[in-house]
Amino acid sequence: MSWFNSVGALINLDHPGHFLHWHFIQVSVANALVMTLMVATFVVALLAPFPGRRSRKENR
Amino acid sequence: MSKSFRPDVDAPEWRGGYTPYDIIKEGTIALVVVAVLTVALALIFSSPDEHAVTIKTWSNATPVDFAQTALSELNGTSGTAQYGAPYNTASDGQKLGPLSLAKWVGVHQPVNTIQDFVIDPLTALPDQSALTQALDAWRGATASTRSGWVDNYTKAATQMTYAHGQIVVPATNAGPVPLFINDLTMMARSGALDQALVTQHGFYTTNYTKPLLFLSDGSYLASLAQKDHLLGTQWGMMNETGSYPGQAWLWLYTFWYQVTPFSTSANADVQVWGVMMLLSVVLLFVPFIPGLRSIPRKTRVYRLIWREHYQNL
Repeated sequence: MSWFNSVGALINLDHPGHFLHWHFIQVSVANALVMTLMVATFVVALLAPFPGRRSRKENR
Repeated sequence: MSKSFRPDVDAPEWRGGYTPYDIIKEGTIALVVVAVLTVALALIFSSPDEHAVTIKTWSNATPVDFAQTALSELNGTSGTAQYGAPYNTASDGQKLGPLSLAKWVGVHQPVNTIQDFVIDPLTALPDQSALTQALDAWRGATASTRSGWVDNYTKAATQMTYAHGQIVVPATNAGPVPLFINDLTMMARSGALDQALVTQHGFYTTNYTKPLLFLSDGSYLASLAQKDHLLGTQWGMMNETGSYPGQAWLWLYTFWYQVTPFSTSANADVQVWGVMMLLSVVLLFVPFIPGLRSIPRKTRVYRLIWREHYQNL
């Protein structure tokens, strides 16, 4: 149990969050980070080549 | 008979070659990656660990706020007492233009704040002779007498204090009301009121409607929510306690609450619901809406995704 507790506290997020304010927009830094990662994943999904492209070309 | 080609609806017949695609393999890889990420992130960051707010913690932290809220349940000025459906008929509730949607649904979670939040819990306290007499006096009094007692106590309650374990209000001609408020506060501080409010519906106590309503009528819960940016005016729907990321996908739902006319409307809940339902219907019918359905074709993002194919055309 104590091992799990110590591992679970590697990075403790149970403290007051930080928020970004711009006019009426308020977003937590954690949410902004997640949204940035989601957009980045989307862009990577668009631009990264399909796996197996090389082997398909070789098969042609 | 040949029809004209409709670019948003029709697809030309594919005359090229085909490549095998193993969707089971891709699904398995996705499942394993997500599972590994989930376990790893849970190990590194753990999870939110906020203790549940109870009436006991509230009444011990701010006994005067609790006692003032208990009084508002007794004099009918609390948010729950004046909410309307589904709890009572005190008002029409949320309206969407001329449509009284809440009223149409009706009272299906009846809450009588005087009886459910004050009289019934106090009646459950055993071996309280003074309280039993006070409750008998309340039950035996006419409505106007009760109203007079509550009004006299309410006027004096602006000077309410908490001293030496007692709620102190310089009220006169308030009948049993001072005893009710004081004993209910003591009951709350002991934790007995939490139990009394959830055990009114049989053996299994899974219905927390009443303690939650009581809690939300006070200012303590709202003050805690404000600290964690969980209020509706703080985009709270998409936030989590602490520094954890929250429900970011609810950004559009909570966005409407921040802008006029919704931010100043008493019917914002149903109005925002209406806007989201409208947008959901629009999304559902995108293939049938001219212009909107052409966006993917005109933005040509598909050519970026399938660029290898289009390079070879």
